[in-house]
Amino acid sequence: MRDLAVAELDDEGLRARADALGLALRVDELRGIAQRLGRAPSLVELYAFDAQWSEHCSYKSSRALLARLPTSGSDVVLGPSEDAGILHLGEHEGERYGIVIAHESHNHPSQVVPFEGAATGIGGIVRDVLCMGAEVVAVADPLRFGNIDFDRRHQRAVATGVVAGISAYGNAIGVPNLAGDCYFHSDFDDNVLVNVVALGLVKESEIVHSRVPAHGADFVLLLVGKATDASGFGGASFSSVALDAQEAQSNKGAVQVPDPFLKNVLMRASYRVFTLLRERNIEVGFKDLGAGGIMGCSAELCSAGGFGAEVDLDAVNVAVDHLLPEVIAVGETQERLLWALPEELVDEVERIYNEEFSLPQVAQNARAVRIGRATAERRFQLRHRGEIVMDVPIDFLTGTVRDTLAAEAPKPPRTQRERDRACDRSIGDLLHATLAHRDVCSRAPIYRHYDAVVRGRTVIPRGEADAGVLAPIRGSRLAFALSVAGNPRIGRIDPQRAAEHAVYESVRKVVAVGAEPIGLTDCLNYGSPRDARQYGELVAGIDGLARAARGFDLAYVSGNVSLYNAASDGHAIPASPIVACVGRLTDVSQCVTLALKETGSRLYLVGETQRALGGSVLASLLALPDEAVPELDIERAVAEHHFVLSAARAGLLRSAHVLSDGGLLVTLAEMSFGCYAARREPIGIALDGLAGWSSTGSYESLFGEWGGLVVEVAQRDVERFEELASSLESVREIAATIAEPLLAFEDEAWDISELHRIWSQPLEELYP
Amino acid sequence: MKARVAVLVFPGTNSEVETRDLLVDCGADARIVHWSEAASLAYYDAFVLPGGFAYEDRIRAGAIAAHDAMLDAVIEGSEAGKLVMGICNGAQILLEAGLAPGTGAIRRPTAAFTHNIQGHFICQRVLLRRDAAAERCAIAAALPQDALIPAWAAHGQGRLAASSEHLEEIERGGYVVFRYADVRGATGAHLAPQGSALGAAALTNRRGNVLALMPHPERDAWNFNHLDRREGEDVLAPSGGSALFESFVTALERM
Repeated sequence: MRDLAVAELDDEGLRARADALGLALRVDELRGIAQRLGRAPSLVELYAFDAQWSEHCSYKSSRALLARLPTSGSDVVLGPSEDAGILHLGEHEGERYGIVIAHESHNHPSQVVPFEGAATGIGGIVRDVLCMGAEVVAVADPLRFGNIDFDRRHQRAVATGVVAGISAYGNAIGVPNLAGDCYFHSDFDDNVLVNVVALGLVKESEIVHSRVPAHGADFVLLLVGKATDASGFGGASFSSVALDAQEAQSNKGAVQVPDPFLKNVLMRASYRVFTLLRERNIEVGFKDLGAGGIMGCSAELCSAGGFGAEVDLDAVNVAVDHLLPEVIAVGETQERLLWALPEELVDEVERIYNEEFSLPQVAQNARAVRIGRATAERRFQLRHRGEIVMDVPIDFLTGTVRDTLAAEAPKPPRTQRERDRACDRSIGDLLHATLAHRDVCSRAPIYRHYDAVVRGRTVIPRGEADAGVLAPIRGSRLAFALSVAGNPRIGRIDPQRAAEHAVYESVRKVVAVGAEPIGLTDCLNYGSPRDARQYGELVAGIDGLARAARGFDLAYVSGNVSLYNAASDGHAIPASPIVACVGRLTDVSQCVTLALKETGSRLYLVGETQRALGGSVLASLLALPDEAVPELDIERAVAEHHFVLSAARAGLLRSAHVLSDGGLLVTLAEMSFGCYAARREPIGIALDGLAGWSSTGSYESLFGEWGGLVVEVAQRDVERFEELASSLESVREIAATIAEPLLAFEDEAWDISELHRIWSQPLEELYP
Repeated sequence: MKARVAVLVFPGTNSEVETRDLLVDCGADARIVHWSEAASLAYYDAFVLPGGFAYEDRIRAGAIAAHDAMLDAVIEGSEAGKLVMGICNGAQILLEAGLAPGTGAIRRPTAAFTHNIQGHFICQRVLLRRDAAAERCAIAAALPQDALIPAWAAHGQGRLAASSEHLEEIERGGYVVFRYADVRGATGAHLAPQGSALGAAALTNRRGNVLALMPHPERDAWNFNHLDRREGEDVLAPSGGSALFESFVTALERM
């Protein structure tokens, strides 16, 4: 057996050998493993620990911090303990339905091979939802790209490759892309962020867990899917180290190869198995093969149920002969899942995959195959060619590893503006520049690549409201809303507030469609935990996420931590906590879109203006780097959201749109642009003079990004609306809709079709 | 007894459930038939080929599926006068199988739905105007004269392409059942979002029992898909794009 004589080497020699083997394990970790095993660890064992103890699998830098996040609540069916979390959606015909949600990053792979990296991001997140026994019903893709100016060939290639990869994979498997966002910032030039979210629908009585059930000793481990090949070897540890441009090329072998065609069939075959399980009423285990491959999945599936595992690597269906045992064991070939099944079900499940859905004909040597079993003895054993190549205590392998790290608190953000802003640019000029800004302009050139409506249950596709809405249950009026948020312009200035605003914006977007927020997920994209300042940003971010979620009385049911997001010179990305929010609509007919509906309506601002331009698009246009970020009064926001939902349920809102990137004028303009998507003539807006509704200056009022939302109320409903609003100070009438296609403010008026042209074009150039 | 409709699933199909559901809601007895059950197809009165990426669009979209054993039953049924409707990938398969426009031999296509002018997948709302050929296409015949059907274009290969002789034959012979239209019902090649020749969205065959339709009416087919345009109080009721499926079911009942 090939092994590493750890005890015989000094630290320097051990590091050199570990580096030569491509192991990211530290010297002290290597010695700890040898000591615990009482012998020289085999190479297979070393690669196994390397994957399992990587940041990606073990959360060793963040685990203690994540305990600060709220994870329970009345709508939480399953918190963040398995491959995905579950929120309670509602009841239909006596059945309780849950929404399964998972949220991950695929940042490093997407930087190195954009198409494949992004595609396998969708592929992986879909499996996390599928293995909970759910039908996959939606995906979302928050993206952060670099500067895509015309001469930035590499950054442009990454930005187009990622979108093409997400499109190719999501479209082929037939899951609608319901939400997403995109920011462009040169701080992402060497390290893009590709976050992916997937949602599933499950009856709460039919949830399948990612563990061998209590009576599962001797359950068979049945591997299903693609034949194992040499792709994706080293993936878990690869995503846990900073990217070095020189090494990016050699890292390509660590990226997995997507096969959405096989996944389409694999999903449908698995749905058929779910039906079988329902008929037989048998509890089983099911888990996605992600980081750590067959080893990681079988070890976690069995240890979570209190069992050990024995796996025969020779039984694994492989695409090529002569793969090394460590490659079969920890390689991250895509499109694979692992069942833990009682003996009496195995033949039937094999028949479903191999015959009814003919996996071997769909992809070369794809199939369902027995590879081992769960054991009462809590050890993890791998065999290869008659030899035991790995034999370790299973809890040592999958147990908690923690790093103790130093954190430096971010410098206190500014709370007051420093000086009066001298600005000689007109409001109209700034409005044009803001609408054309890459963080504001139309995202249609991107999301037009994505199938938004496959499965036929989409209620609101991207671009027609702040959150996507989907009615997932045939015959039911229940629907859910999905939004994502995370503003890197704030992340650069104030890590804690960036996290709070990410929560606030995701929640606000769900409220804007008339849905009640029921839960959150978070993906924490940060720099190196070994840099005290960058680690301090993570600490501040988690505190911000915790404070905001508690304020809105929401829990995180799933999430992911992505560290080491930095270029080779150590320059980290802006603190990028990205949050997804799920909302519930008990009656889909009550949902609200953003397009203005009629002339003669009144527009109300729900929210307070602030003298704070920090993190705004205007601040970046005018190069004002040192501004204060708007404060978040959560208590007031909760009251405002409660009010908006009451008004929506009473049918008083004709349209609604959040105030976000670009500020109030952009919000109003986009409500008017919404008419184009609805194939109607644009409705204009006459905005009142500031004196009537704002105490701040015109720049802060018109371009500040302090939150809140704008709602349209028809003339006939004004009385009822104002009565409902009477207890809130922060609801003010600010504008009226007019027949002329103009956005009018004081003595100026801008043509809607011209504004629409300015807003529509910027990304067309990169995404024709 | 209700006519039985088979909704065919090839490896890679992805729109079978909503297609089946809409057929059922419009009054058909529709069932999903899987590729491993091809032998059962003879039992059905009509065939619907839903959207997706059958056989991964290898070679060309629809090219492999056109040679699948399931198509043997569809071709046989079509020749016997059974109704055959293909949507999106299903339409691509029918063109590759030579069933629409059917101006050549079986499995020797004379036209194809091929790569969009953008060179990539597009997903957007479209309106379809019923054209003169609908008179003789049984599946669309029950639609009102100037019907505008809402649908979604969601495809990477939706541009009708053929030699100029074949295109002229398609136009002159009256094979175009739907064209892309604007909200006033005007049609024209410039309104086809992917650059489809003749501004065509759907073709029939000479006999009029086949419809190859590129956009998806079944994705804009219930009130909850278009709350701003809902018809009637029931948000779960079919409307909009369902008109074509209703016409399909009406044609089935007349047979």
